[in-house]
Amino acid sequence: MKIIEKALKQGRNMLSEYESKQILSAYQIPVVNELLAESIEDLLMAVSKIGYPLVLKGCSPEIAHKTEKGLIRMDIRDEDEAKSAFDEIFSSMDGSGNAVLVQEMIKGKRELVAGMTRDPQFGPCVMFGLGGIFTEILKDISFRVAPLEKRDAMDMMHEIKSSRILEAVRGMEAADMDMMTQLLINTGRIGLENERIREIDINPVIISGSKPVVVDALIILE
Amino acid sequence: MLMNKNISGMNLLFNPKSVAIIGASEKTDKLGSHVMNSLIKGGYKGKIIPVNPFSETIMGLKAYRSIRDYGKQIDMVIVAVPAKLLSEVFRECADSGVKGVVLITAGFKEIEDSSGIELHNTIAEIANKAGISVIGPNTFGMINFHASLNASFTPEFSRVKKGTIALVSQSGGISHLFGFMAIRTNAGFSKIIGLGNRLNIDFAEMVEYLMDHDPDTKVLMLYMEGIDNPGRLMEIFKKHRGKKPVIVNKTGSSEKGDQASKSHTGSMAGRHEIYLGAFRQTGILAIDDTETLLDSARALAGCPKLEGNGVAILSGQAGPGMAACDICEAYGLKIVDFNNHTQERINENLPPLALRSNPVDMGPAWYDADASREIIKAVMEDDNVNAIMLLIMFASANVGVVNGISSLLLNWKQKKPLITCIFAPPGIWDNEMEHLEDSGALVNFPSPERAARAMASLWKYKNAIDK
Repeated sequence: MKIIEKALKQGRNMLSEYESKQILSAYQIPVVNELLAESIEDLLMAVSKIGYPLVLKGCSPEIAHKTEKGLIRMDIRDEDEAKSAFDEIFSSMDGSGNAVLVQEMIKGKRELVAGMTRDPQFGPCVMFGLGGIFTEILKDISFRVAPLEKRDAMDMMHEIKSSRILEAVRGMEAADMDMMTQLLINTGRIGLENERIREIDINPVIISGSKPVVVDALIILE
Repeated sequence: MLMNKNISGMNLLFNPKSVAIIGASEKTDKLGSHVMNSLIKGGYKGKIIPVNPFSETIMGLKAYRSIRDYGKQIDMVIVAVPAKLLSEVFRECADSGVKGVVLITAGFKEIEDSSGIELHNTIAEIANKAGISVIGPNTFGMINFHASLNASFTPEFSRVKKGTIALVSQSGGISHLFGFMAIRTNAGFSKIIGLGNRLNIDFAEMVEYLMDHDPDTKVLMLYMEGIDNPGRLMEIFKKHRGKKPVIVNKTGSSEKGDQASKSHTGSMAGRHEIYLGAFRQTGILAIDDTETLLDSARALAGCPKLEGNGVAILSGQAGPGMAACDICEAYGLKIVDFNNHTQERINENLPPLALRSNPVDMGPAWYDADASREIIKAVMEDDNVNAIMLLIMFASANVGVVNGISSLLLNWKQKKPLITCIFAPPGIWDNEMEHLEDSGALVNFPSPERAARAMASLWKYKNAIDK
C-alpha cells in the first residue's frame, strides 16, 4: 500500500494515527469520521463537515502515545474551544509532524481493543480484549493465529472473562457481532497481506449503539 | 524434517521383530544395562540383539561386535553409547538398512559447546538420507504397551497397564511422572514416547502417525514446552479435528511478550498466549496441570462421548456431592432437573430427610445397596441426564454397597459417561473398582473435585470440536 511505501521511504517505522486508520478503512474496518488540519482554515473546514462535539488530537508519525503527552482535547463544543485547543496542541508538538486530527466524538461506554502482532513462528496473530485503560491493567485478552475463520473470531470474543460486555447490558444494545467478527478477521488479513506491518494496535474500539467504531489506532512497520 | 512418507519406518519403530541395543551391557552404571532389562523384563517377544564389542554374552544373550557383525535384517536399533561414537553408529545403521532408531544418547544441542549442534546436524543428514526415523536424541526412549516393547531405560514403565492413551512428551522427567501416576491411578496407555531433541520426529510427525496409523491409540496426551514449527503441527491438528481427542499441557506461561515493543499488542503477546489461541482454533484441549491432564485423558479414553451438559450427581454423603456440584457449574455443566417419573422413583427409595432432587443425597440409603441401585437405575434412564457422577465414601456399614451396585453398572456399561469418586482406605474396594474400571463400567477418581474436573474436560472437548 502506498501509505506504507511512503513511510518506509521516509525512514519511518511508525504510521501516524491518521495513516493507520486509512489502512484499516481500506480493509472495511469502521473508523471514526475524521479530517486532518494543518491550519485554522483546515480546522474550520473540518468542523463544518464533522460537527460538534469534537475531539482534537495531535497527529504525527513520531508520537505513539498521545494521552501521556497531553495532546488530546475531548468534548469540544464550539468554535472558540476548537481554535484554542488547536493552538495549544499545535504549539506543544514542538515541530514534529505538525497536524491536528479533527474527530467526531464517539459516544459509548464500552471500549474494546483489537490488534495484530507478527510472531516469528506463528506469523500474524490477532488479539482481542477489553480496551481503553483496562487493556494493560486487566490483560483480559485472547489471541488467534491468522487467517481467522468466523468461528475463531466468535470464540476469541467469548474467551475473555468480560465477554458479557458485548451483550445487552445495563440498557445498552448488544454489540453487532457480525461487524465485530469482520473487524477481527480483517485485522488478520492486514497482517497476512502486508508483510511490512509488524504490529497493529486498535484501541479503543468503541461500541456506539451496537456498532463498533475505531477511535484510535497505531501501526508499526518493519 | 522427515516426512511421514516414511510410515513404514515408524511402524518398524513401534512393532519391530528384532531390536538391537548398541551399548548393551550388564554393568548397572551403563544405561545399556537398564535398556536390556526393560526389553527382557517387559516381555518383548521379538529377537533381542545386544551389541557390545567387549562381551561374548549379555544377560544370557549372545552379543555381537556390531550390527554388521550380526549380518541379518534388524528392524529397530536402540542407541545408548557416548556421543562421539554416533557418526559411526549412524553410518552403520544406514548401511545395514535399519529404518528405526531410538537414540537415548544425550550431549547435543543442550550442551554449550557448538560441537553438539554439528554432531546433531551430521547424524540428521545421515538419517534423513537413509530414511531412518529417529526418536531422540536425549530421550529415555519409548514404550509400545501393545507390543510389550519397552524401549526405554526404565524397566518399571512396563508396570503401566495396556490401554488407549498415547503420551507424547518433550520431557523425560514428566514422562516418568505420568508413568508412575498411571500405575497408581490404573490408567492404561498405548504408548509413552519421549521425543527428546527431535532429530527428525517432532510432535507433528508423531501426532500424524498416532492419528492415521495407530488403531491402539484413542486419546493423545501431549506435554509440550515449545517447538520450532508450530504452524505445521496446527495444520495437522486442523486436518484431524475431532478424529481422536488431543489434550495438551503446555508450559511457559511465565514467558513475557516483547517488552521493547512499541505497541500494546506486541508487548502483551506472549508466545504462550498465542499457543493457547492456536490450540483453541484447532480443536485441542489445553490443560493447565499434569494431574488434570492425566485425569482428563482417562475420562476421554474411558467414557463415551458426552452429548450434552446435563449432569446428575448422586452422592452417598452430601458433602462430596456439593464439592462436585461447584466444580461442574463453574465449567458450564448443568445439574439438571430430573423428569417427574425419575423423581418419583427416587422418592420411593429415599425418605424425605435429605436432598432428593439433583444433587441427590443418598445418605438415608447409604448402606442399603438395593435402594442405591434403584436410585441409580432411575437416573440412568432419565433423558434429561447426559452423564452421571457417583460419589460414595466408605464406612464399615456400607462395605457391601459396591458389590451391590456392580452388576447394574457392568450391564449398563456407560450408555452415558459415568464418572465416580468411590473412595475407601487402601485394600478395601480396590479389586472391585479396578474390575469395574477395566470393564469400562466407569472411570474412578480419588476426589470429587478431580472427578468433576474430568467430567468438565469431556464437556470442554465436545465444545472444542463442535465449534
